[in-house]
Amino acid sequence: MFIHAMQHNSELDAFRTEVRAFCTREIPPQVARKQARGQHLEKDEYDAWLKRLGARGWLTGKWPKEHGGLGWPPEQFLAFQEELGRSGAPPLVSFGPTMAGPVIYTFGTPEQKKRYLGDIISNNTWWCQGYSEPGAGSDLAGLKTRAVREGDQYVVNGQKIWTSMAHWADMMFALVRTDPNAKKQEGISFLLIDMKSPGITVRPIIGITLGHHLNEVFFENVRVPVENRIGEANKGWTYAKFLLANERVGNVDVAKLEAYLHQIRSLLEATREGGKALAEDPAFQRRLAEHEVGLATVKALMADQLAAARANGAPSLMGAAALKLRGTELVQAILQTGIDALGRHGMVYQSAALHAGWNGELIGPEESADVIYEHLYRRAATIYGGSSEVQKNISAKGALGL
Amino acid sequence: MAIFSSDERQMLHDSINAFLRENYAFERWKKLARGPEMEGFGRTEWAKYAELGWLGVALPEWAGGAGGGMTELGIVLAAAGRHMVLEPLLGTIVLGARAIEEAGTQAQRATLLPRIATGGLVLAFCHAEPGGGYARDYVHAIARQEGGEFIVDGEKSFALGAHAADTLIVSARLGSQAGPLGLFLVPRDAGGVRLNVAPALDGRLGATVSFAGTKLARHARLGDDDEDRLATIDRLIDRGAIAACAEACGAMAAVTEATVEYLKTRQQFGQALAKFQVLQHRLVDMSVSGEEARAIVHAALQALDDNAPHAQRAVWAAKVQTARAARFVGGQAIQLHGGMGMTDELAIGHYYKRLTLCETLLGDGEFYLKKLGVAAVACAVA
Repeated sequence: MFIHAMQHNSELDAFRTEVRAFCTREIPPQVARKQARGQHLEKDEYDAWLKRLGARGWLTGKWPKEHGGLGWPPEQFLAFQEELGRSGAPPLVSFGPTMAGPVIYTFGTPEQKKRYLGDIISNNTWWCQGYSEPGAGSDLAGLKTRAVREGDQYVVNGQKIWTSMAHWADMMFALVRTDPNAKKQEGISFLLIDMKSPGITVRPIIGITLGHHLNEVFFENVRVPVENRIGEANKGWTYAKFLLANERVGNVDVAKLEAYLHQIRSLLEATREGGKALAEDPAFQRRLAEHEVGLATVKALMADQLAAARANGAPSLMGAAALKLRGTELVQAILQTGIDALGRHGMVYQSAALHAGWNGELIGPEESADVIYEHLYRRAATIYGGSSEVQKNISAKGALGL
Repeated sequence: MAIFSSDERQMLHDSINAFLRENYAFERWKKLARGPEMEGFGRTEWAKYAELGWLGVALPEWAGGAGGGMTELGIVLAAAGRHMVLEPLLGTIVLGARAIEEAGTQAQRATLLPRIATGGLVLAFCHAEPGGGYARDYVHAIARQEGGEFIVDGEKSFALGAHAADTLIVSARLGSQAGPLGLFLVPRDAGGVRLNVAPALDGRLGATVSFAGTKLARHARLGDDDEDRLATIDRLIDRGAIAACAEACGAMAAVTEATVEYLKTRQQFGQALAKFQVLQHRLVDMSVSGEEARAIVHAALQALDDNAPHAQRAVWAAKVQTARAARFVGGQAIQLHGGMGMTDELAIGHYYKRLTLCETLLGDGEFYLKKLGVAAVACAVA
C-alpha cells in the first residue's frame, strides 16, 4: 500500500505551462471555435490537430523511450490530459496510441514495429478495433470471423460490429478465428488489417445520438498477409487480454472528464430557475462537489494503475476494474447533471447544430446539443470496453478467485 | 362527474392498447415522427383518437366527452407512453382542456371544449419562460389592455406541440410586471407571434414562442375578470406533471417487457443472458421500480379525482418517485441491450429518450423533492 513514488507536482508545473501555451498557440482557430460551440470536427480538422501533438511525441508520451515514446511517468501523462481538457482541445483518440501501439511494441516483430509505430506516434494512421461481433459481445471469445491460411496469406470472412471510427480508419487490429476446432479462447489470432483491402465493406450505424460514430464492418474473402499477424497463431487471446487491460485504463479519459465538468459548470451558470442561476443552488453545488470527489478518485486510481503498469508490466486486475467502473459511472453522472440543467430549457435536442454550417436558431445555452449528444453517447461507457457486468465477472474470478 | 367503474377503466385501457398495438407499431412511429409533413405526428391518427373518444375522455358529457377524471386521462396517457404516441395529447387534452375548463367563461367552455372532443382543436401550453426554469410563478410576458383589446409582449420557453397547435394557451401578467397572472388564447398565426420550431430529445416537435405587440380580442382572455390565475396554473401544472408520470409508467412497462424478452433470446457464454442471476435481479429491480411508480401515480390520480387535501403533495411525491424510476429503468434497458440499445434503429433508445423527457416535463424529481421539503417545513411551522 502507498508504495509507488509519485512525482512531485511542482516538477510538472513547467510541463503544464508548456502544454497550455502549446494549446493556446496551436489549436487552429476553426477547431477552437467548433470546440467552444460543441460542434463536431471533420476528419481533416481532427487529423491536423493530432498531427501537431504527434510532432511533439505527445500522443505517445507514456510509451517507453526505446519504442519512440517519451517515457512519461504516470503523473506527467495525467497532467497532460488535465491541461488538454482544460484548454478546450479536441479529445485524444486511443485506438492507436493506447491500444494498437503497446500490443505492437510488446508482441510485434521488429518489422512490425518499424512499419507501424512511427505512424501511430505521428498520427499518420488512424486505427480501429475489430473485436465485437453480432454474436460476440460480452462473450468476446465467442467470435466467429474466420481467417483461413492460404500460403502466406489469411483469407478473412465474417463481420465486426460497433466499430467506432471504422469509416475514418486506415488500419484495424482484429481478432479472428484461425482454429475452429480448438477451445474458443485457443483458436484466435490477432491480425492487423489494412482497411483499404478489397472485400471490406464499412456500413454506418446511426446511434441514439442521431450521429454516425459506430459501424458494421463486413469481410468477404479479404486477404491479409501472414506477416500482419501479431505473435503466434492461435495465441491471439493473450494479446487481446493485454490490450483489454490497457483499454480499461485508457478508456477513462481524464481530459474528457475535466472538459465535461467545465462544460457542465458553465451550463449551471447559464441556466436559471426563478431568475437565479442553478450554480447558486445548494443542491447543484453539492452535485458539483460530488463530481469533484469522483474526479479526484478516478485520477488517483489512474495514477496508481499507470504506476503499477510501469512497475509490474500490467495494471492490477481489481485496480483497472475500479478505474473502468468508477470512471464510466462518473462520466454518466456528470453528464446527467447537464441533462438536469437542460430540462429547464425544455430538453430541446437540435442535433443539426452539431454540424458547422447549420444556420438555425439555437434554443438554450450554446453547449446544449453537445451535452445531450455526449450524454446519449456515454450511455455506452458502461457497455464498451467490457461492460460493467463483465468487469465484475472478471474481477470476481481473476482477482478474488471466486 | 360520472365516475368510471373498474370494469369501464379496464375496457378503456384494453381498447386503447389494442388499437395502438395494431396501428401504432414502431415502424409506423418512425414514419410519423420523421414524415415529410414536418409536423412530427399524424393528423389522421388524431382524428381517429377523437372518433374513439380518447380526446374527450375527461371532458363533460355535454361537450361530447365521457365525463371521466384524471384517472381516465392517466389511462390514456399511460397507453400513449407505452406506444410512444407522438400526437399532442398532453398539451391538448390535459393542460389545454383543463385550462379552459378551470378558467374559461361559460361561453368559452361551450365553444371550445366540444372542439377538443372532436379533434378540431389542438392546444399547447406556453407558460414557462427563459430564466424561469421549472418555477411556476416566473412570468414576465405582459398583456396590456388597450381599448377593447389586449396587446401581448414576451417570450416563452420551448413548449411541446406549440409548432402545430391551433391555439396557444399563454400566461401573461396583466398591465405590468406586478400585475395578476392571466391566461390567454392566442391563435398560433396571430400577428407578432414568432415560433422557433425544434425537436425535443425524444423527437417530438415543439417551439419556443415570442410575442411582439400581438393583438388579441377581449374574449381571448380565459375568464372575464382580472383575477390572478396562479392557483389555476398551479393546478394545471400538477395535472400535467402527473400525466407525464402516467406516460412514463406506460413507457417503463413496455421497455421492461422488451428487455426481458431480449435477455431470454440473446445467447452469450453458451446460454441465454436471462439465465444469469445478476441480470435476473436487475430485471426484477426494473420491474419493482415500475411497480412503485405505477402505484404512487395511481394514488396521486385518485387523490386529484377525490379533491383530497393532500392531492398536490401526492402529485409531487409521485413525480419524484417516477423520475427516479424512469431514469433507472430507461438506463438499464439500454445497458442490458448492450450495443443494440445504442442504435437509432431499435425502439429501446427512443423509449430511453421519451422517459428522460417525461422525467423532466413540468419539473424534474429534484425540483419536486425541494418543493416537498419546503412544504414539509411550512407544515411543521404551521
